[in-house]
Amino acid sequence: MADVKLTDIRKSFGPVDVIKGVDLDITAGEFVVFVGPSGCGKSTLLRMIAGLEDITSGELRIGGEVMNDIDPSKRGIAMVFQSYALYPHMTVRENMSFALKYAKVPKDEIDRQVNSASKILGLESLMERKPKALSGGQRQRVAIGRSIVRQPKVFLFDEPLSNLDAELRVHMRIEIARLHRELGTTIVYVTHDQVEAMTLADKIVVLRAGIIEQVGAPLELYDNPANTFVAGFIGSPRMNFFDGRVKACDGSRCHVELPAFDNAVVAIPLKGSMPAVGSDVSLGVRPEHFHDDGEGLLSLTIDMLEHLGGETFAYARSATGAMVVIETKHGRDLQSGQQFDARFRTDAALLFDKAGKRIY
Amino acid sequence: MKNLPETIRMACTYVFLVLMAFLSLFPFVWMMIGATNTNTDVTKGKISFGSAFFDNFAKLSELFDVGQIFLNSAKIAIVGSFFTLLISSMAGYGFEIFRSALRERVYQALLLSMMVPFAALMIPLFTLLATADVLDTHMAVILPAVASAYIIFYFRQSTKAFPSELRDAARVDGLKEWQIFLFVYVPVMRSTYAAAFIIVFMTAWNNFLWPLIVLQSNELKTITLAISSLGSSYSPDFGVIMVATVLATLPTLLVFFAMQRQFVQGMLGSVK
Ligand SMILES: Nc1ncnc2c1ncn2[C@@H]1O[C@H](COP(=O)(O)OP(=O)(O)OP(=O)(O)O)[C@@H](O)[C@H]1O
Ligand SMILES: [Mg+2]
Repeated sequence: MADVKLTDIRKSFGPVDVIKGVDLDITAGEFVVFVGPSGCGKSTLLRMIAGLEDITSGELRIGGEVMNDIDPSKRGIAMVFQSYALYPHMTVRENMSFALKYAKVPKDEIDRQVNSASKILGLESLMERKPKALSGGQRQRVAIGRSIVRQPKVFLFDEPLSNLDAELRVHMRIEIARLHRELGTTIVYVTHDQVEAMTLADKIVVLRAGIIEQVGAPLELYDNPANTFVAGFIGSPRMNFFDGRVKACDGSRCHVELPAFDNAVVAIPLKGSMPAVGSDVSLGVRPEHFHDDGEGLLSLTIDMLEHLGGETFAYARSATGAMVVIETKHGRDLQSGQQFDARFRTDAALLFDKAGKRIY
Repeated sequence: MKNLPETIRMACTYVFLVLMAFLSLFPFVWMMIGATNTNTDVTKGKISFGSAFFDNFAKLSELFDVGQIFLNSAKIAIVGSFFTLLISSMAGYGFEIFRSALRERVYQALLLSMMVPFAALMIPLFTLLATADVLDTHMAVILPAVASAYIIFYFRQSTKAFPSELRDAARVDGLKEWQIFLFVYVPVMRSTYAAAFIIVFMTAWNNFLWPLIVLQSNELKTITLAISSLGSSYSPDFGVIMVATVLATLPTLLVFFAMQRQFVQGMLGSVK
């Protein structure tokens, strides 16, 4: 267990800046998940922590020690790769003991470590097989086992589950969560998958184009995104954004006019300073915040319905063509093409300024 | 009847294939037959097995120390292949794995060097080896082949299929660069090595011109040189020549059949 501290970390590949100044504190034992769109630099950042990629500038500390120029094998980290990266010419047992052999760990100590890891992961019956003879889930378990035996202070995972099918992914996700609980090791985990991020993380780091957009606990990011990017990125289906104009503000509420909805006016409660009257804003409403007793009223036409059994996602349009996604409990009563008055909870709606920053 | 054109097409295909098979196999069969016949029978064009094989072999042994010559060829081919594979695969691996500003330039220069005909290299190479004072040794035959642009090219192409995450994993596991190469890359790419080995071994074994130029001592000569000297004598004994040729062909056949599966696999790409 160790903490990880990144101070103004930067990375360029030649003239291209990929990581543009990242500051991040990861406390010991924490499960941190990096999310962000493809190409935003998640893997690069993780590989810099691992020591597989040079750090252009900034300081990386693991367990208090500066690790910028330390060899990957001496950083106390272990990494699990997306493609598993098992040595194809070695058996499971050899794969798992390989690193220890090179670290000149005594033979009986290696055996003890490997056996205990294989027990934790249920690999006992597979130890003499080659990776080719394993299923995807088993390979992933071996890859995790291989990193456990090294008893790292920090585990690094780069999209470890993205090559697995949906069912296995759920299963392995639970297993990784259990592993984290049992070992208590710090984990840094990269994923595309929102559900993985929301369910596994103690702390989510949202990256965009080499910059941290927001850091926080999963529900905190969900409830209180700092900008439209995070608001749109976390949550599925995406949050709805409506262009609006501030019409008036009183003590605690901001009245926003929505041109896309026949200039309907909704009153959004705010805690902080009010935006200037007349300024352009963006109103964010999550699909599940549409509710029968909400105060905001929008008139819509339903395009399409997705019945998931318990709830229904209605994809609808305003008179001017603005798209809206609504989650509703009584989707069975609705029909495509139907006119429909949707109400949403104004107290759960979020307001963003023109640049996308949240107005509190 | 609508299948008639199809039948004719098939028939043509088969006739063509049989013809090609015959063309490529006939010299081989003829060589085997010739090896068992006397010189007179061979020159008369006899196309059936005779009984003179052991006589021919005895005559060959009188002319040459067959064991020594075989050993010379084997030494050059095996030692040469080993070093060619080692050096050229390291180069190919390096070219693909390590980034550098000059990498592509150097690589292109290397590929361009494949276009220089060997005839143009012979004299400078000869002078070079003379300066190094290794003429008339097996080293002189082996050295020029060790860095083969073609094999480097082949290994660089194959290395593209080598998963970079495997290298990362090995680095995290604490292996040094040379250990990654030796203990991860080489075993993973073994079918690539097998395919390259066949190519390199055959080239080295069949090499004629260069050994002819640099080897002068009789006890260093290779089997290809021996065969050629048999043919250039005043009255060549074709039975003996055929025996020598059979002997010369055997090892390449053996190597090929022993490694055929890996060869095909290596040609298709080794990492599955
Ligand atoms: N070796 C390299 N040379 C040049 N550019 C690179 C190199 N490696 C990565 N990049 C660039 O850095 C950026 C970030 O890449 P990275 O792999 O970290 O993205 P990512 O967030 O992991 O994306 P994904 O979700 O698709 O895995 C990309 O634009 C990529 O093109
Ligand atoms: Mg990535």
